[in-house]
Amino acid sequence: MTGSSSGGSPLHRAHPYTPLALAGALFLLAFAVSTPRAVGLVVVAGVVLAAVGGVLRHVLRPALVLALPTWGLLLVLHGLLGADPRVVVGPLTLSEPGLARALVLGGRIAAILVAFLTALATVSPPRLVEAMAARGAPFGLIFLLVSTLTLVPRMRARAAQVLAAQQCRGLRIGGSPLARLRALSPLVLPLVLGALAEVDEQVLALDARGAVIGGRRTVLHPPPDSALERVLRWGLLLGILAAYGAKLARGGA
Amino acid sequence: MTLRDLVLVRLGVAVNLVIGQIAAALLLPVFLDAVGTILVAALVGPRAGIVAGLVSQVLMAALSGNFSWLPFGIVQVVIALYAALAARLGAFARARTAIAAGLGLGLVAGSVAAPIAYFLFGGATAGGVTVVTTTLRVLGAPLPVAVAAASIGTDVLDKSIAFALVAAILRSLPDQMKARFPVVSR
Amino acid sequence: MKAVVRLRDVTFTYPGAARPALAGLTVELLRGEVAVVAGPAGAGTSTFLLVAAGFAPRLTGGKLTGERELLAARAGIVFATPWTQLSGLCASVRDEVAFGPASLGLPRETVLTAAERAMRRAGAEHLAERDPAALSGGELQRVVVAAALAPAPDLLVLDDPAAELDPAGADELYALLPVLAATGVAVLVATPDLERAARAATRALVLDAGRIVADGETATTLDGTDVAEIARAAGCPVPLPLDVPGLVGRLAR
Repeated sequence: MTGSSSGGSPLHRAHPYTPLALAGALFLLAFAVSTPRAVGLVVVAGVVLAAVGGVLRHVLRPALVLALPTWGLLLVLHGLLGADPRVVVGPLTLSEPGLARALVLGGRIAAILVAFLTALATVSPPRLVEAMAARGAPFGLIFLLVSTLTLVPRMRARAAQVLAAQQCRGLRIGGSPLARLRALSPLVLPLVLGALAEVDEQVLALDARGAVIGGRRTVLHPPPDSALERVLRWGLLLGILAAYGAKLARGGA
Repeated sequence: MTLRDLVLVRLGVAVNLVIGQIAAALLLPVFLDAVGTILVAALVGPRAGIVAGLVSQVLMAALSGNFSWLPFGIVQVVIALYAALAARLGAFARARTAIAAGLGLGLVAGSVAAPIAYFLFGGATAGGVTVVTTTLRVLGAPLPVAVAAASIGTDVLDKSIAFALVAAILRSLPDQMKARFPVVSR
Repeated sequence: MKAVVRLRDVTFTYPGAARPALAGLTVELLRGEVAVVAGPAGAGTSTFLLVAAGFAPRLTGGKLTGERELLAARAGIVFATPWTQLSGLCASVRDEVAFGPASLGLPRETVLTAAERAMRRAGAEHLAERDPAALSGGELQRVVVAAALAPAPDLLVLDDPAAELDPAGADELYALLPVLAATGVAVLVATPDLERAARAATRALVLDAGRIVADGETATTLDGTDVAEIARAAGCPVPLPLDVPGLVGRLAR
């Protein structure tokens, strides 16, 4: 699991929408370009973004852990097993178009990972809540995106309790795949039924405190937004549109 | 949506995020990352199921850091629509019909996921499926066939287990809770 | 004293239930009083709180017959388990307590003042800057009480609110109830902890099998629970009668 890191970088101080917009723009850009060189530039842009946010080390390690297995598989799927003509790279004889394709696909994944891990590391969830509420996002949306994140650790803890309790009662979780499959429902059922039983109390507590799905709430600490950041975000949108326009003009792919 | 539907959607999302970990702890070769989506679609309806699926996809990406999964959100939409329909047709009443409906969803969901995996990622997506794809490819299957077979094969297993679990959950609901959900109490 | 709710021959049945959870209730609850709702398990004490506060059948489903006048502008609710009652959106106790008034869309200054006042009343002001996720159960229940008070309810219902607290925490919670009532709030608390509740409450309502079997001043009414002890000693099957006519009726059978 990753999370936000504290820090005073420009991305940390920025309005929460700005790092998210930058990450979103890199995500879309990664799919708008289709040559190894252009994808490489998007990856570099992602790394620069992480450096600006002061989270390069925080981001690169999980990005590599997540990307390496996929890169390996892409190399096998496209590099080794791709079409002719072949090129010799070190000890390997690889498919030339396959290698280009593997570089594009692997680069896209790397760019997406670096960009979004940077956004995650620089945007604090409570500030995002305030920013969304200040922009008039309905309570329901904010609730689902943020409050679920506080429910998950509690459910994980309960899953561990259920597991321990069922093991005390003689549940064995080893053995054949079929035996392990049978162990699934004694673990899942108590967890889900317990959570369902709490729903009514949660609804009553929220309702009594005035929560309304489409309601607009008073924002207590609205994050400041600068004209420069607003211009930057609109600029990103135009840039993306231009990139997709160029892609369509080239005839897709 | 009512406040209660909203709280149920949040529960579904949390179930999606947590049950996958139980499956991983049991070393089962399935993700089970849509049990919550199916449950909410069956209990509340297709709209709530779709919201649960899409929010799950965003949060799974946020929690793992792996945002390349985002395009598979469309699969969650298909799952929610299918599960709501299956519930309305009474597929969850018995384990046998639930598993059969789950097999059907596996075919549908796998067919939707395969083109995304192929066109956007060249077949390289989440760990387990990609290993199957690579194996098939090494055995000589053309890439599109390998991607489709791997995607559909894992989904059929995954979704029939997920449907069986949801059927078991719905059967174990206390009567007073059942009465609150029109689709199940029929 | 002004009434906050009037029930006349009210019967309430949960969806799918064969028998009503409450039957033929006629009662009036007043501002400024602390009323304890007592009764054996299954007597309908929790349901009575929901019906009196107007949450049932609006949020629970089910069917209500008879006459009900809800005169409270706002009702607050507190349950035994504090973690089901948090919004899950707030990084500090202050924001969590402010959630209610903020949901009502009140001006920012009003929201913050209401949160401060509610925290002070519930003895939670020293927790204001803490993360709710990092608090103990007892601390969290103070926060929950503060959060329920922040929207300034004129009826506060509490369902076994001290079940998760240590004895000292429970004493403090019950000591708070007469203080709240003195400000004009009607307080209704359901609990099996009659000893503590008797010290806080001016009025006691005893329910059995969905009916009110006793209603009066705490001291005299809860003394009637001795009747249950006599009945148990006499070998009556549960549910035990809680008043003298009930006991006589049972023994005569």
